[in-house]
Amino acid sequence: MNYQFKWSVLWSGQSGVWLLQGLITTVEISALAWVLAAALGILSGALRTVPWKPARALATAYVEFFRNVPLLVWMFFWYFGVPPLLPRAVQDWIFNHGAEFWAGMFALGVYHGARMSEVIRSGIQAIPRTQFEASVAMGLTTFQAYRLVIVPIALRLIVPPATSESLNLLKNSSVALTISVAELTFQTRQIETYTAKAIEALTAGTVIYLVLCVGIAAIMARVERRFAIPGLIARGG
Amino acid sequence: MKRMFSVVVAVAVALGLSLASSVGAQQDTLAKIKETGVLTIGTRTGSPPFAYVNKNNEWVGFSIDLVEMLVKPEVQKAVGKSIKIEKKESTPPTRIPLLSSNAVDLIAGTMTDTPQRREAVDFSLTFFYTGAQFLVKKGSPIKGVNDLAGKRVAAQQGATNAKIIREKYPQAQLREFPDQPAAFQALLQGQVDAYTNDGIQLYGLKAKAPKPDEWDVVGDFYSEEPYGMAMRKGDAKFKAAVDAGLKNGFESGKYFEIYEKWFGPKGELPYPMTPQVKAYLLKQIGK
Amino acid sequence: MADVAIRFKDVDKWFGKLKVLSDINLAVVAGEVVVVCGPSGSGKSTLIRCVNGLEGIQGGDLIVLGESIVRPGVSMSGLRTRVGMVFQSFNLFPHMTVLQNITLAPVRVRGLGATEAEKTARALLERVRIPDKADHYPANLSGGQQQRVAIARALAMQPKIMLFDEPTSALDPEMINEVLDVMTDLAKDGMTMMVVTHEMGFARRVAHRVVFMDGGRVVEEATPEAFFATARSDRAKEFLSKILSH
Repeated sequence: MNYQFKWSVLWSGQSGVWLLQGLITTVEISALAWVLAAALGILSGALRTVPWKPARALATAYVEFFRNVPLLVWMFFWYFGVPPLLPRAVQDWIFNHGAEFWAGMFALGVYHGARMSEVIRSGIQAIPRTQFEASVAMGLTTFQAYRLVIVPIALRLIVPPATSESLNLLKNSSVALTISVAELTFQTRQIETYTAKAIEALTAGTVIYLVLCVGIAAIMARVERRFAIPGLIARGG
Repeated sequence: MKRMFSVVVAVAVALGLSLASSVGAQQDTLAKIKETGVLTIGTRTGSPPFAYVNKNNEWVGFSIDLVEMLVKPEVQKAVGKSIKIEKKESTPPTRIPLLSSNAVDLIAGTMTDTPQRREAVDFSLTFFYTGAQFLVKKGSPIKGVNDLAGKRVAAQQGATNAKIIREKYPQAQLREFPDQPAAFQALLQGQVDAYTNDGIQLYGLKAKAPKPDEWDVVGDFYSEEPYGMAMRKGDAKFKAAVDAGLKNGFESGKYFEIYEKWFGPKGELPYPMTPQVKAYLLKQIGK
Repeated sequence: MADVAIRFKDVDKWFGKLKVLSDINLAVVAGEVVVVCGPSGSGKSTLIRCVNGLEGIQGGDLIVLGESIVRPGVSMSGLRTRVGMVFQSFNLFPHMTVLQNITLAPVRVRGLGATEAEKTARALLERVRIPDKADHYPANLSGGQQQRVAIARALAMQPKIMLFDEPTSALDPEMINEVLDVMTDLAKDGMTMMVVTHEMGFARRVAHRVVFMDGGRVVEEATPEAFFATARSDRAKEFLSKILSH
């Protein structure tokens, strides 16, 4: 064993700046993708439970299509597959304006939207059907019943599984490095390239991911307590 | 998911290392080889013609031949018995950890000998010499490293040339991909205007392109990329054996026969050796 | 008969291949309180769930407040603002306070201002005798209180008709009366009501008419006095003997 640890590589030179840039990119792409995933997940998860077959079929098709193909493939799809559908001038414009980031964001958001959809659907199905009946019996439309009653209750029920899905999204954002998005894992590799200190660089990356995940889990736990339905969720607080 | 695999390997190795460091005894590679009868090399599976899996599913290449035909006899002499070569896959992110953890004894692929890497590992004599150039669409305004302002340039992450572009030519929009196929695809589709890598790699890609005539390798070498074999640091006896093998090859001309087999007119990738490169290689052994 | 509130005309209903309502003919006039009773599975809940369109019908016609609800293009949500419903399982929205439960539909459907809706809601809570629970969550109320909130919530839309689907079946015995009292008040105020219940005391005191169902058919309909004194069919007699022996 003649590996010599040299932790100073993490703060000497540009390493610190790179880690910070990587962290910011990871947080940006994950946050945007999360918003997209949440929107798609809520929409398709709700549609999968409505009393109208074509809507259910459409939402089911979305979920099965996107979650059963590996994320890496979706990265390549959004980066290599989609731009050729656009006019050449538009392609050039987006290639000069962060096409990699946006392709990665869409890949991540649409893929995790499909996974989030399952979480939301299970939340909605945990609500007694009579809640929906009571809502429409008051004169609410189906859309209002979902927006005001069903989805808000479901969202409160699914905080724990949605948290774990959100953490998956964060961790999966590293796949975007395959299409040249300079996120956290990319930057740890960069440090390894420059310093030949792989273990230190990977350790730094691992610790940052860990801190991010633990932080998110803590925030979500607070959200869960803050919005807990009295009497429905009996969790320590 | 090769990438995930590399990360997993690296993390696993890192964990193993922290355990191993407590017992960490200095490893004598020759003693280990003598004991096991095996020299384990870390090499590539997709870098023709240096190391790759060919159509017949055989793991072959220039770097592998150098080990088999030049290094192996010297190592056998040093340990006084006949040995076997075993090959393991190593990639840029995993190769140094694999070496440090004793999973492999020698990296023989396409690794450039750099001062930074020399802090972590020892390198053999240089066995191949190339430099960074650009692969562009025929007729591209990019003729070399000075035409990059505002252009989108792909590079392979971890490559020396990516580092040079980032530091010395910041006007270029650098896009770094973890593997060559993705970077090349980006060039084919126009996501980037040029792909930079070692000239030898670019000739290989051009030859494999759907329409090779549409692509040009342009520019003078803007980096020096001497390929060497990497070993654990400070194992002088093993390094001496590896270097002796290569040196014999240069002296006897065996090295140039192997070069001809892979890079000659009938080789896997024709890449004639320039007199300058030949002089550079021979200078290492004082000729 | 201008003041017929609900009229079933030869109504048939299937659940798949199972016929659950057969040839129902029934009229409820404005201001009338009709108690629907019968053994479980007789179709009585299904009958009143048809009135506000929670269940569709497959044959015949159903006219509610002068409009056929099987006519294509009829607005179900419009109908439901005029027909309130109270369920066996209360179905308050657990993530909203009592006040929010009551003001939700008036604000979102009627477009009432928040202040006005709240004023009405507080008046209704007064009426169901729990004005102090406005800011509580449903989980913190007893079953009887929850059901009274559910009644207030339905009344907030100022319906012309109220449907009650076994409103006291899920309650502990000591809470049944507080709910029945509210319903009695409502009946006295002249609300048109269809009530599915086993509370024969309530039927005797409050109902104008009792409808007895069995096997998806209306078997008897009579004034409470007549029904309890001289039920004609064997099935009604058997049902009454079981239910009154408790």
